[in-house]
Amino acid sequence: MDAKKIIDSISTEFPDSISNTLIDSDIRISAYVSASDVVNVCKYLKDNLQFDHLSCESVVDYIDRDELENVYHIASYIHPVVLTLKAILPRDNPEIESIVEVYWNANWYERENYELFGVKYINHPDLRHLVLPEEMLGEWPLRKDYEGFPQNTAKNLV
Amino acid sequence: MGEVNQKEKKVDLRKAQSPESIPGVMTTTSNAISDFLKKTPAQDFINWGRKNSLWFMTQPMGCCGVEMIATGCAHYDTDRFGIIPRNSPRQADVMVISGYVTKKYLPALKKLWDQMASPKWILAMGDCSISGGPFYQSYSTVQNIEEIFPIDVYIPGCPPRPEALLEGFIQLQKKIEAKKDKGSEY
Repeated sequence: MDAKKIIDSISTEFPDSISNTLIDSDIRISAYVSASDVVNVCKYLKDNLQFDHLSCESVVDYIDRDELENVYHIASYIHPVVLTLKAILPRDNPEIESIVEVYWNANWYERENYELFGVKYINHPDLRHLVLPEEMLGEWPLRKDYEGFPQNTAKNLV
Repeated sequence: MGEVNQKEKKVDLRKAQSPESIPGVMTTTSNAISDFLKKTPAQDFINWGRKNSLWFMTQPMGCCGVEMIATGCAHYDTDRFGIIPRNSPRQADVMVISGYVTKKYLPALKKLWDQMASPKWILAMGDCSISGGPFYQSYSTVQNIEEIFPIDVYIPGCPPRPEALLEGFIQLQKKIEAKKDKGSEY
């Protein structure tokens, strides 16, 4: 299973939802996926292309484009290829289907993305705050327009 | 006449507070004894005892916590100053804030501080607890910790060496001896 074969396989299986495929090297490939089809793509990757685990799930805030990108790093213990899947979400009401049913370890990643960026994961088994205190929900501190930083308020500057 | 009335009122109050009071026997409270002792030279002796048994709570909160534990170990032998690490807030006299205080951890820290028996003192160890340190502009760091806790000694450093922490304890001992600590009211 090499990079080219994987890209061709998902492109032919999901011609409508996979776009902007890129082969960086033999072991790194990336693709954009439409937000509505993420779970189906992940199921296909896991069942047919031996991508057996999710390495990371994160969110990037592109404030200029008024978009959030949900980034999945999906890898395999059988072949060396790491796939970077990106799904574009609107910034004012970001919602995406949860992939916990496919990759169970997405649970806490999605909770963290929820408390830091406010991405709502539909059908997540337990979507609540993870590390931050519950009162900070709604502030979304890792978004670029967050302004709750304490600015020069410390008296004991060393 | 007015004075007599006031005296009677006081007596009534005392009776109301302790219904089993015996006539002719004056009752008092430990607070009253403590307040009386603070005005006498006996307090110097009490403070001598207090300053030589500064048991601190092993409550590491960051990398400074490693230095705090190292201070409590045999190499620095803090036992010669009466400084012993304790695991429970009930047995401790000194709380060392040894790291950044996040908004989520602050309620737990307050609870620990409330669990400690008085007299108690508090040290701010490291840049993080003094001003926020490297996490100065973080979204979840609590700043100006001295508005929340009565901090006696600030120990700068990132992290401070165990010798610095020991020096902080000795400064606290000097403050207690001079009756200038914030832990007890004079």
